[in-house]
Amino acid sequence: MDFDFSEDQVMIIDSARKFLEKECPKDKVRELKEDEKGYDPELWSRMAEMGWMGLILPEEYEGTGMDFFDLTILMEEMGRNILPAPFFDTVALCSLPILEYGTSEQKKRFLPKIACGEEIWTLALTEPSAGYEPSGVELRATSLQEDYVLEGTKLFVPYANVADRLLVVARTSQEGITVLIVDAGSQGIKTEVIPTTAHDKQCEVVFDKVRVPKDNVLGEVDKGWEIVEFLLQRVSVLKCAEMLGGAQFVLEMANSYAKERVQFDKPIGSFQAIQHKLAEVFINVEGLRRLVYEAAWNISTGSPSRLLTSMVKAKANEVYQQTCIQGVKVHGAIGFTEELDLSLYFLRTKASEFMLGDTGFHRERIAVELEDYQPLFMSV
Amino acid sequence: MDFKFSEKEEKLRKEIREFAKEELPPGWLSSMLEEESDDENWAFAMSMSKKLAEKGWLTMSWPEEYGGKGGSLWEQLVYSEEASYWGIPGVTMGIGGVDWVGPSLMMFGTAEQKNKYLPLIASGEPDGIWCTAYSEPNAGSDFAKIRTRAVREGDEYVINGQKIWTSAAHRARWCWIAVKTDPDAAKPHNGISVFVVDMKSKGITVRPLMNYVGLHIFNEVFFDDLRVPAANLVGKENNGWYQLMHSLGYERGSIAGRCYGYNKRILDELIVYTRGNGLFREREIRHKLADIAVELETQKVLGYETIWKMSKGDSPVYEPSRDKVFNDHILERLAMLGTEILGGYSQIDPLSRNCKWTKLNGHMEKLFWLFLGFAFAAGTDEVELNIVGQFGLKLPKSY
Repeated sequence: MDFDFSEDQVMIIDSARKFLEKECPKDKVRELKEDEKGYDPELWSRMAEMGWMGLILPEEYEGTGMDFFDLTILMEEMGRNILPAPFFDTVALCSLPILEYGTSEQKKRFLPKIACGEEIWTLALTEPSAGYEPSGVELRATSLQEDYVLEGTKLFVPYANVADRLLVVARTSQEGITVLIVDAGSQGIKTEVIPTTAHDKQCEVVFDKVRVPKDNVLGEVDKGWEIVEFLLQRVSVLKCAEMLGGAQFVLEMANSYAKERVQFDKPIGSFQAIQHKLAEVFINVEGLRRLVYEAAWNISTGSPSRLLTSMVKAKANEVYQQTCIQGVKVHGAIGFTEELDLSLYFLRTKASEFMLGDTGFHRERIAVELEDYQPLFMSV
Repeated sequence: MDFKFSEKEEKLRKEIREFAKEELPPGWLSSMLEEESDDENWAFAMSMSKKLAEKGWLTMSWPEEYGGKGGSLWEQLVYSEEASYWGIPGVTMGIGGVDWVGPSLMMFGTAEQKNKYLPLIASGEPDGIWCTAYSEPNAGSDFAKIRTRAVREGDEYVINGQKIWTSAAHRARWCWIAVKTDPDAAKPHNGISVFVVDMKSKGITVRPLMNYVGLHIFNEVFFDDLRVPAANLVGKENNGWYQLMHSLGYERGSIAGRCYGYNKRILDELIVYTRGNGLFREREIRHKLADIAVELETQKVLGYETIWKMSKGDSPVYEPSRDKVFNDHILERLAMLGTEILGGYSQIDPLSRNCKWTKLNGHMEKLFWLFLGFAFAAGTDEVELNIVGQFGLKLPKSY
């Protein structure tokens, strides 16, 4: 048991923090909030130069071959600095499934483009009918000669407004779900940005008789839910790392404010009502950190746990939201304003919570695991 | 980063599980704080102490020269987790014997004190049982304001005063006591000293304090002209506060694992029970169980972090307080959920041994009626949160 970071990991953290503080200060975050694209292409290419997009892709695909844990701590830094860019969507939601389930041809074709920052990808999974249950996938892919024809609507597709390609989760038979690689420029795709509170470029994507070559099936036909499970069981930990980074920063903001803000001739952090609130938040953020690292390490070393991942997502959802709420309370009325950076974090919590499963969804998955599990004392 | 236990640690875990299977009655689970309450439990606890001592586990992390096994902090953690999951009683040698009296003597005791007391604790015999006397009626959280006095007279100190909430004083052979030796010290912290007191001495009166369900856990202890040899002073006169703070680290090494092990067992019992009677199928119940499972996993890795820091040679400052607060939150939730699950049966007196309606051996009722005791023991949550705020977040002192 050893919780030290390796030298490489320390370097990832340090360089990411410096880079993001310099290249993506908060006024840039605010600017991008109102930007049509929602990200800065120049910043995106510099991120690619840093090797971030291909961080855990093998060298043969222009990556640097680091591991899942390394990507986890990079995501934590991005969350800390609230980087507005389609990084999680491209790298976590798309490149990882391609690496895991793609044919060698698909990998050769697509992964280097992602690693070099040439393409933006996103996942089109959720629909008006549902979140993360297979039964909610109603968008149909009908076989027609060499193609599939897609018909239906996807909702809350992040950065579809700027994506070059999408992974589309479609129904191919009554029980069958298939994941398709779809060129975003295909005829019949209509994308519209949904007015989310965070202005974080989540889209409605309508597929009107969109033709996709059958070569573009990712994984096996009718077995695409496996890929969604892969996302739910592993990739969601990366989202949790991002949330952890955000929660940590919000905690630090509130903590500094409590030391600076003077009322009744004392810093408000010297009052127990404030101090205990912050201490409770701190305890939960520290707990979340260890959980995220535990789950990421398990995945890195080849023993992912469905139970643990759901625990981490449920915890991250709760902790990030609570940290922001308590953070606002510590700030008082100024916490309620747009002016305070905290608002940038708070407004994004809803998207993070929903992404790859909200708390109730994961709680139920935990319960399902507990229902079948054999407690140790029963083994006697 | 490495979240895996070593082979050696895993082997130890297996050995303890085998031990528990062989030595404990089927379905056994002891509740913390319960063992010193009645004679039968106490006798069983003492018989287990002896067996743990024979295995070398009782003083797992003590150096071999003092009768320990020289185990690592991680082995200590594994032992603590397993011992509490299985409810092996007799692991502490009263209150503090293993956890802080021994380690403090190693750090601050004279050669004579070490030779006399350490082997007694490590033997698992009743002569190695301790109680700890810190709190007083007017000095709880504000511990530095204790008033019990020790006055030097020749080769002796004469102690007068009163202690309270002294757990296991009615079982202890020795008392580890903090007293005032310099009531005029500029800072009250600088006037405290630690002594070893023989509980068989003249001038000690132990008066039971029953808790609200009728368990005899703690006591009031009165000292009237108690004469203690000067050789029983531990460390330096008036240096007691700093010694206690310093030795806290040792105590803390075992606590996180112990709490997690016990909580995990309670959760496991509730899962099995609700699966058996169909309550698990109720969404509200299974979601509450799921939530607590998340908290337990969090508790586990937070505790590991504390041990990891200690194993690197860092002295944890706020982490044990953090772990304590976290544990108190979990205990409360487990107690609430456990009794909610039992419904009407949770009304049954946990001390009634033969009621046919008792569920889960009365463990949920015991937990419910004891969890508030844990919230006060070794520092209230509020005091612990002060420590977390002051040292973890570097906020100004708030009291």
